[in-house]
Amino acid sequence: MASPSGTTLPRVSISSTNRDGRPGGAPPRTGPPRTLVRERRKETLLAWAFLAPSLIVFALFLLYPLGRTVYLSMHGNDIIGRPTRFVGFDHFSELLTADFGKVLVTTLLFTLLVVVPGVLGALAVVLLLESGIRGQRFFRSAFALPFAFSVASASVIFAVFYNPASGVLNGILYELGLGQVKWLNSTDWSLISVSLTTVWMNLGYGVLVLAAGVGSIPREVNEAALLDGATGGRRAWHITVPLLGPQLFFLAVISTINALQSFGQIHILTQGGPVGSTTTLVYSIYEYAFAYGTSDFGRASAQALVLLLMVLGCTALQFGVIERKVHYS
Amino acid sequence: MMGTPRIMRRTRTRTALVAGAAALCLSITACGGDSEGGGSLSAPGPEALEDLDSTVQVEFWHSMDSTNGQVLNGLIDEFNAEHEGRIKVTGSFQGDYDTTLAQHRAAIQQGNTANIVQIYDLGTQFMIDSGQTVPAQSFVDKDGYDTGPIEDALLNYFTVDGELRSFPFNNSTPLMYINKDAFEEAGLDPEQPPKDLAGIREYAEALTVRGANGQVERYGFGAAVYGWFIEQFMARAAVPYCDSGNGREGRATEVLFDDPNVVELVEWWQGMIDDELAAPLGRGTDDAQAAFTAGRAAMTLESTGAMGGFLEQSGFEVGAGYFPLIHADDPAGSIIGGASLWINGAGHSDAETRASWEFVQFLLTPAAQSKWHAGTGYLSVNTEGYNGPEASERAAEYPQFSVAADQLANSETNINTAGCMMGVMSEARVAAEEAWEAALVTDTTAADALSAGTDKVSRKIEEYNASVG
Repeated sequence: MASPSGTTLPRVSISSTNRDGRPGGAPPRTGPPRTLVRERRKETLLAWAFLAPSLIVFALFLLYPLGRTVYLSMHGNDIIGRPTRFVGFDHFSELLTADFGKVLVTTLLFTLLVVVPGVLGALAVVLLLESGIRGQRFFRSAFALPFAFSVASASVIFAVFYNPASGVLNGILYELGLGQVKWLNSTDWSLISVSLTTVWMNLGYGVLVLAAGVGSIPREVNEAALLDGATGGRRAWHITVPLLGPQLFFLAVISTINALQSFGQIHILTQGGPVGSTTTLVYSIYEYAFAYGTSDFGRASAQALVLLLMVLGCTALQFGVIERKVHYS
Repeated sequence: MMGTPRIMRRTRTRTALVAGAAALCLSITACGGDSEGGGSLSAPGPEALEDLDSTVQVEFWHSMDSTNGQVLNGLIDEFNAEHEGRIKVTGSFQGDYDTTLAQHRAAIQQGNTANIVQIYDLGTQFMIDSGQTVPAQSFVDKDGYDTGPIEDALLNYFTVDGELRSFPFNNSTPLMYINKDAFEEAGLDPEQPPKDLAGIREYAEALTVRGANGQVERYGFGAAVYGWFIEQFMARAAVPYCDSGNGREGRATEVLFDDPNVVELVEWWQGMIDDELAAPLGRGTDDAQAAFTAGRAAMTLESTGAMGGFLEQSGFEVGAGYFPLIHADDPAGSIIGGASLWINGAGHSDAETRASWEFVQFLLTPAAQSKWHAGTGYLSVNTEGYNGPEASERAAEYPQFSVAADQLANSETNINTAGCMMGVMSEARVAAEEAWEAALVTDTTAADALSAGTDKVSRKIEEYNASVG
């Protein structure tokens, strides 16, 4: 983005593209002097030269794979995974089944179960921290700690907690004389358990982002609110939360994308089960492409394109609907 | 001020990145060309290693990590020391069995396979169909190698169309493990573990302990919902797992795990959980192992490979017995699991292929197998390995280790105990597991769930068979 040395150069390129790309916008009345034309061409060339490295990287790592995915999605594989025959849109029409519908529903449900509690949880923690409790710094670091855990290690730890026979969660329930919960082994609980793990893992990042946001709220605003007699919950609800709008929005978008991408915790905790109750789209792609000795890259690619649309759709929706209500100071 | 646009930009980039990453991971493995390279698929004789200019490098891809990996590396070092200046084997851990298979598949595409690759039992048909390896039989015939001491059950599994296709290496068979202390506490004879489903239920009734508040403190039984066990139960009941003579008389077209025997097994399992005699465990074998070693389940089913861990981690005396039968009068065969070694011929020189075979021969010697068995708990592929110093020492210390060998020795080798051979065996195992689990955790009946599972597999088989022509 804004690199210090690039302050003048992007301006050159922006101005030239603006002039080229604006057909009706104030064209020069008479032909411009030749030197100017040459200057302009030079500028354009320079702009492309500066853009080239990122364009190449972009093409190599985004456009090519995307094109390849489209290509693969329309081909059937041999047993080694090489595309061998053109099948058109068969892989897509095959997706119109109840099974795949269930995968989509699971994906959306998982996303909701992760994003809503995740963002609200982080907000609650930050508001509590802001209420001026003792040891604020300690708690802020403590709550940010999950951010430092890798998905794999956090999942393994939760797997131990959830163990049906020797897990600590059921141990606590047992001591309390409550019934045992089949955390990962029942279709009612598995998705909730995996979401819970994910919420915990995301909490640290959420707290970091929101705490930074709270820190940047101008002191005058808070002082003014205090003078007006707003304290505690009122101040939090009417001052802090609205001013955290950009951070909350950012967090919602990022955690939605993260949730749609989640793989590690599902793989380690449930492997998509029981009975497909935690098979999200990403997990389904993995199952088709790599798991259990398979290499059905065609069907996996078709699903990858569905995922692409889903991520685009969710993000567009968030920008289109929610962002309008965000107040940027 | 700066914050807003940056957030938006980053988010959009992220969106694109997600899509790109998803696409990338799919395409990387599929971008290689189909270079076949030279290399012969028949075994070269010892002359291939004469007049060498330099040390022959042998690359060995495997799935052995932690303890098993250390023992394997020890054997590799020993071999390299013996063949200093002639052959150098480099072992390389690739990840679990599925990952190794995926890596190997990518390597075939890119024309750079390892010399030796360790592939699990379920990948056998795929390895045959991909046509990259020198059949084990070819080495055996060329050298007049004596397979007599190799465990019959293993030869039976890895022999397809009358030819030994790969060399069994790290193999195991499942057993029933019991908590001997719990048996004594319940007044049961720990030397006589139950032999069939009815027996397990009867014993579990005695072994299950409830706390003051009526909740179960110790279940009589608890094992993972593991597809391999279904294969085992079927073999012991002399039922083939797939048609066409377990896929060995022609290509299989359907799996048969909706057999009444399996329905009965799943219903029994369901009843055990409903009546709180069995711990409600899922597909994870780690969970089941933890339940057993923590004393929460008094009987469990697990591979011989788990014995070392059980003996180490349990705070009670561990007993081992034969894997149970569905009915007491079942013929009691036994099939194996684990992986075998494949020598890639395509794309490799005769010298490399011959050197690979020398290394495999070394691994199959009684001396190496004695160390391997004692160090890992896998079966000794070479039955003479059980008499080696390491194996004898271990057997003296833990008599439980001999149960697996006895179970195999007492097992008939026939088409049912050879196990099913087909290209989608790995998916079949998962489908069986999912059907079994669906019967346990949803309202679906065992019969419906299992028959839906077999239908699903049939479609995959059809596709696989069509793609290999």
